[in-house]
Amino acid sequence: MSFRSRRHSRPLALATALAITAAALAGCSSTSSSTASGSATSGTVRWWGWTPDQNVATNLITAFNKKYPKIHVTFKKVPDQTFGAALRPALASNVGPDVYNLLVGGSGASATIFGSKSVDLTPAMTKLRGSNWKTGLYPAGITDFTVDGRLVAAQVGKVAAGFLWINKDLFDKYNLTPPKTMSEWVSVCKTFRSHGLGCFKEGVDAAGFEVDTLHSIADSIQPGWWTKVIAGKAKWTDSTGVKMWQVWKQLDTNGILDPGALGIQQYPDANNAFLAGKAPMVQMGTWYRQYTSKPNLAAALSAAGVPSDTKQITMVPIPFPDVAGSGNTPGLFGDPDYALAVNKKSKNIAAATTFALWVSSTKEGQQVIANNLDEDPVLESVGADVSKLPLVDVAVQTPYLNTLAKQGGNVTQPRLANISPLLDESIKNAASTVLGGQASPAQAAATLQSSAK
Amino acid sequence: MFETRRRPARILLQVVITLLVIPFVFPLVAMVQGSLAGTGWNNYFVVLQIAELPLFFRNSAIIAVSVIAIVYLCTMLAAFGFSKLRIRAKEFYFWLLLAALTLPEVVLLAPLFATATTLGIYDTYLSVILPLAALQIPFTILLARNFMDGIPNELIDAARVDGATTWKAFRYIVLPLTSPIAAALVVLTLIGTWNDYLLPLVFLQDPSQQTVTQVPDFFIGAFNNDQTKILAAAVVTAIPEIVAYLLLQRLFERGLSAGALK
Amino acid sequence: MNRSVRTSGFIWILPALVVSVGLIYYCIGYTGFISTLKWDGVSPNQLSVGFANYVQVFADPVFWQSITHTVAFFLVSFAGQVFLGLLFALLLHSRVRGAAVYKVIVFLPVVLAPATMAPVFRQIYAPDGQFNGVLKGVGLGFLQQPWLGQTSTSLPVIISIAIWGGTGVAFILYFAAMSQIENEILEAARIDGAGNIRTVVSIIWPGLRGTTVAIAILTAISSLKTFDIPWLVSQGGPSYSTEFLGTMIYREGVPLNAVGYAAALSVMLLILAVTIAIVLRLGGRERGAVNV
Repeated sequence: MSFRSRRHSRPLALATALAITAAALAGCSSTSSSTASGSATSGTVRWWGWTPDQNVATNLITAFNKKYPKIHVTFKKVPDQTFGAALRPALASNVGPDVYNLLVGGSGASATIFGSKSVDLTPAMTKLRGSNWKTGLYPAGITDFTVDGRLVAAQVGKVAAGFLWINKDLFDKYNLTPPKTMSEWVSVCKTFRSHGLGCFKEGVDAAGFEVDTLHSIADSIQPGWWTKVIAGKAKWTDSTGVKMWQVWKQLDTNGILDPGALGIQQYPDANNAFLAGKAPMVQMGTWYRQYTSKPNLAAALSAAGVPSDTKQITMVPIPFPDVAGSGNTPGLFGDPDYALAVNKKSKNIAAATTFALWVSSTKEGQQVIANNLDEDPVLESVGADVSKLPLVDVAVQTPYLNTLAKQGGNVTQPRLANISPLLDESIKNAASTVLGGQASPAQAAATLQSSAK
Repeated sequence: MFETRRRPARILLQVVITLLVIPFVFPLVAMVQGSLAGTGWNNYFVVLQIAELPLFFRNSAIIAVSVIAIVYLCTMLAAFGFSKLRIRAKEFYFWLLLAALTLPEVVLLAPLFATATTLGIYDTYLSVILPLAALQIPFTILLARNFMDGIPNELIDAARVDGATTWKAFRYIVLPLTSPIAAALVVLTLIGTWNDYLLPLVFLQDPSQQTVTQVPDFFIGAFNNDQTKILAAAVVTAIPEIVAYLLLQRLFERGLSAGALK
Repeated sequence: MNRSVRTSGFIWILPALVVSVGLIYYCIGYTGFISTLKWDGVSPNQLSVGFANYVQVFADPVFWQSITHTVAFFLVSFAGQVFLGLLFALLLHSRVRGAAVYKVIVFLPVVLAPATMAPVFRQIYAPDGQFNGVLKGVGLGFLQQPWLGQTSTSLPVIISIAIWGGTGVAFILYFAAMSQIENEILEAARIDGAGNIRTVVSIIWPGLRGTTVAIAILTAISSLKTFDIPWLVSQGGPSYSTEFLGTMIYREGVPLNAVGYAAALSVMLLILAVTIAIVLRLGGRERGAVNV
């Protein structure tokens, strides 16, 4: 999935489990060997993941079976919030999945935690792609999924954020141009609001999209500072840090941010409002590109529960405005998305490895990923063919998408990979107290600095 | 209870209760509306077309029936023991049970998992049935004990004078009187079991063993939830509970009232 | 206490003890052990820290906030459920048409899983949701606000949802208890010239004391256990304004990986629960009204 735990909509349940089952597992050290077992070209592979969606998984498996007709792959989808809860006991038992998803960073099925249960894929990679197997793959995805010198999972895709998606139809309707500065943004929002629309809709929730917005704000004040402060090489109380919270507060007081940000969730609230044409602007990442395509947008609209004759919006990506007025246009930051790990206890390690590597590191597998548009392929030689997409408005959207694709190639900063769950929680709390008026920007910066230690 | 001899007063009462009930209906209406948004009744067709749906209903039924059976057995025996028999340190045991009422599921998962793997019941229905029963039993015993306290001791004494064993007194005299509390027990246990999401998810790995609470998950996408179909699924899965409640309503009320107070 | 049967009845309670006490007390012991550790729940390195986690609990402002919220939640939801439950029971015992329908409507929320209803309530209380719509519709548009998005209104919203879900139980209990109040007493009161209000206050309400205590206990238990509504509707926020012990245990134990700390919080929850249960039990016994 392309963003962290963005949803808590499942029953009471989802709750609870994760860390707690973990407790039971501690001390159970797995001693199974990592040598491949079973045939590499036949057998059954049970794959568990919170992503992709069922139809994409089916496409992947169908394409895979063209080359490996004797490997039978089944995909079990477990919602992201419950994934870790279900995976922990499954991996401890002998009936767990053969292949399972992992991600970087804290609170989900993170590579640093669950990687200890998976097979080191380095030998298989070397066999498939030669000794310089790293060449041509997304480097961050190799680093992030290497734990203690073991390649614990094979990356499947990557995503980037740090820009806005706007509803071009609404901008055109009121003769507005995409804002480049704070004052332009303020006036754009004034116009929208005077017509009874929202403007920039965002939810400050457990999913942490405000982290992207804060990152972009920080980049507009002083590029590179955010990455430093996350790494502990700068202080949250630096002038940039305080300024960042001031600007964040201004988004609210200047009427840019829609009211109630602390009570809405990015998914489904902000997402549905934008796709249904009620909110003209949201901050989402490259995964949002999938909704430029007509059938995808239609499906999303029906899921949002809006009438089926709702007009499809022409959405385009624009850079995050230079809200600090320092002359910097905030750029993109990105991470590898999910990766496939092979269970050490699998009885079909060889076949499972064949599948994981086919999806992640072969042209055929990566093309299926690319064609789905929700994430970018990690194999450099593969790309999505945007020219054939059934876009809502080909003429308008194509240049924007091409620009985005170019920018996406130049991502240097990580997005969430280095943010621990505790830091994430502290940032969210600071963002809430600043918006809610319980803390001034300087106080929030100080609190954040003290909890980051 | 309000005496309304005159017609205007009666109309007033009718208006008052109707107004009061509106906030209770409102979310239910919103729920059904939500389940019909977007593609309308098609949402329900999509839910009903899930191939695994009958299987999930069957699994939930198996689990619910087993839990109800265990809870019924343990509860009736224990309630009789607590209410009518002499047990050393009886109140201590009773409190031991009651304290377990206050534990949220959050606290129990890790140890339950350790137990399940030790007993070798991980990935079987038992790993879900036993904890669910364990969590229901304290409350049902609380109700059933109070209910049985309301049964006169003389009935049992009389039976014993006639030479009946304790078991016979229980089986032929007490048990036939307990149908109201049994109804309350069935309804409450069914609600608790049918709505449980976490335990089946964690302890049952085989997709063919999953329960109805997993149905909404079919519509939780990697990028977006199909809220309309999630709600439709919720309506569909709630129907058996609602039917059970309606069928047992009268007994349920009697059981609750006799069980909760004396 | 009953002495009519002389044989020991221990064997009768054994199955229940084995299933319930065996399983649950094992869990409690386990949690107690984990609570003395500093541990992320996964790594093989468990650092024993004695009571450090408990010291941290007492110093944690969020812990005290969640206690305050629990108390507020209990008081308001108890008062709300008792008032509404009593009113519905009274009205439905009067001559009202379609009583069966009203009864089912009031009880239905009890049957539905809170998790099912959470997204519905999120939608109702959203800035552009139905609640604000209704306010506007009845001319109270100036009251419209982002109910879940501000610390001042988020807790009342959560409590309102709990009242919606819990009134059915209070209602059913009162309704059933009222059937047991002798009609002769009511008639006698009426003949003495007591009006409706007077009858309720001096005859019916005292007769329901046992039920009211039972509802208090049930509400206390559910207040302490509260987790799904605040977590699924507001994630304990904004700024921990709807944090309860349940949500805090989850937050610490799952996303923040502080498993030892979460266990210490669980033990605190248990201690609180047992204390309250004992207090209520003693209180109930003194009045001699209930046996709950």
